[in-house]
Amino acid sequence: MFINKKEIILSINRIIFSSLDIRKVYQTMSNELLKVIDFDRLSVTLITENNNLYETFVLSKDYEYTNLKEGVLYPMEGSLMKRVVQFCEPVIVDDTSKGRFLTDTVLFKEGIHSRLGIPLEYKERVIGSVNFGSKRKDYYSKKHINFFLQIAPQLAMAIENTRLFNKIKEAEEKYRTVIETSPDIIFECMKDGKFSLMSPSVEKITGYSADQFYNNQGYGLSLCYKEDQERVQNEILKILNGQNSSLMDLEFRVVNKQGIVLWLSLEALPIKEGNRIIGIEGFCRNITERKKLDELKDNLIRDVTHELKTPVAKMEMAIDMFERSTVPGNEHVFGKSSQIHEILRNNVNRLKNIIKNILDISKLESGTELLKISDISLVELVDQVISELKDTAGRKKNVLIQQLPLNIPIIKADRDKIHHLITHLVDNAIKFTEHGKISILGRILPNEVELTVEDTGRGLDKKTRERVFEKFYKETPSTFGSGIGLAICKNIVQIHKGRIWVESEGKGRGAQFKFTLPISTNNN
Amino acid sequence: MKELLIVEDDLEMQEFYKDMLQGEQFLVTLVPNAEEGLKKIKEKKYDIVILDILMEGITGDRLFALLRKESRYKEVPVIMASVLDEKTYRCFQALGNVSFLEKPFNKERLLNEITKRLESQK
Repeated sequence: MFINKKEIILSINRIIFSSLDIRKVYQTMSNELLKVIDFDRLSVTLITENNNLYETFVLSKDYEYTNLKEGVLYPMEGSLMKRVVQFCEPVIVDDTSKGRFLTDTVLFKEGIHSRLGIPLEYKERVIGSVNFGSKRKDYYSKKHINFFLQIAPQLAMAIENTRLFNKIKEAEEKYRTVIETSPDIIFECMKDGKFSLMSPSVEKITGYSADQFYNNQGYGLSLCYKEDQERVQNEILKILNGQNSSLMDLEFRVVNKQGIVLWLSLEALPIKEGNRIIGIEGFCRNITERKKLDELKDNLIRDVTHELKTPVAKMEMAIDMFERSTVPGNEHVFGKSSQIHEILRNNVNRLKNIIKNILDISKLESGTELLKISDISLVELVDQVISELKDTAGRKKNVLIQQLPLNIPIIKADRDKIHHLITHLVDNAIKFTEHGKISILGRILPNEVELTVEDTGRGLDKKTRERVFEKFYKETPSTFGSGIGLAICKNIVQIHKGRIWVESEGKGRGAQFKFTLPISTNNN
Repeated sequence: MKELLIVEDDLEMQEFYKDMLQGEQFLVTLVPNAEEGLKKIKEKKYDIVILDILMEGITGDRLFALLRKESRYKEVPVIMASVLDEKTYRCFQALGNVSFLEKPFNKERLLNEITKRLESQK
């Protein structure tokens, strides 16, 4: 019955290298095994991770057909398989009619009377079993076991390889689908400028096919808009040299096949082989539409600014001209005209401030304005604000004092914006305080500094406290100002990643406007 | 006498310029748009060109960029005048020999800016 062992090993090798298609592997395997051992039924079972039984393949000699029950899971409990796996040793069933295992009963009905289960071990882990079934009782013996234990490792390897290969193939197919259907350009480019991957979407976006990128070294950069070429090249070199660990949102222009300029945004990471950087991989998104909208938005803000500011500017210039043209001398006319002049100037100033505030908040909210971050000293800034507002405070008989701790750290922030913020809070305090005191206090917290503008003025009730930072909110319609100043303050604090709030004991009991700004921990 | 070219499309603004520069030691030419401005610049060398930014047709900033591209006009001293804040014009600084005058301005600021510009040419 048994041919020599050498021949069997050769056969098994044939199985291993026959194919990486799992059906073909099983087919070859059953054909080869049938040469050396008689069976009426052959099955290979593989264990799933959660220890269910996974019967992948059943071959029946009589019908000469193979039946692949892929994906059908059987419970482990009560099966021959469980025992084989548990003890990692072969199991023989001499007579299935005795019903030792639950599966015996099922197989007995199919005419299988004796069974042999051999564990499949791969890298010291049981991955499943090979099971034989015979119509004859007491068919399998120790002899079969000894023979099979010799070839089982090779079988296990063949099966596991095929299984892994199929998993990889599946993953690869998913990956391929992602790359082929992605609207973004996904790419891999080696250090020498050669593309090792370029997704087909590149053709939709640039008009040039992926092949053109594969066949031409440095093709990507040559499509770059002239003025952007150097910048893009430098950023990519920084990744390749290891100066930068990633590229985020690098915006640049390319000229497509039709000669149209497009905006792309690039995100990329280095490709590493051990510690060596051998290329970059990443994706490019077409952001032309977004750029167009940005430009529209910027133009709109610019035009609105122009339209609102021009008449006010001219009114101001006219008032100035008027002032210069009135001849002092006639006391009555001069008095009258100076009164009119005063009204005009006040209201032009008021209008100017409202327009400035509205434009400021629309710029802040639209994100058109970028922060100009630098090292700033809060002590110096507060002192500046105090000297600028001392007269205003004095006019309402208010005292203005600074009580900041001397060791307040230098923070990173937009100086103009923080100046605006403190100025507004102090100015606001002055507005609602008479014959009182306005103090600017500071506290150093673990990761941030907290500034408080405290006044002894009118105070706020609960409802106002809750709404005071809303845009256009005013306590009463006649309250002066545009009702937008504190909304701007809130916006400034937020874009600096800080917090702002107000505390007050209630009406007539003063207010404390507080805000925090983060202390930067890095030294860049 | 120093010669000024002012490109300004707003008639009222033109009046302000006339009023402020009256009696000063300048020869002033006022034109209402960039096209005519360019024509004048081609005819004659001005000591200073004052450009409004937002104008119908070619805008002041574009005219400025055009001037800087041609070697003949590379050195023409320019003052950009606008209600827009300085940020809008900042990117033009790199093109050289330009300063910014925010509207509204009074006579002193205008004269001061012109003087500064003229002195920096010496």
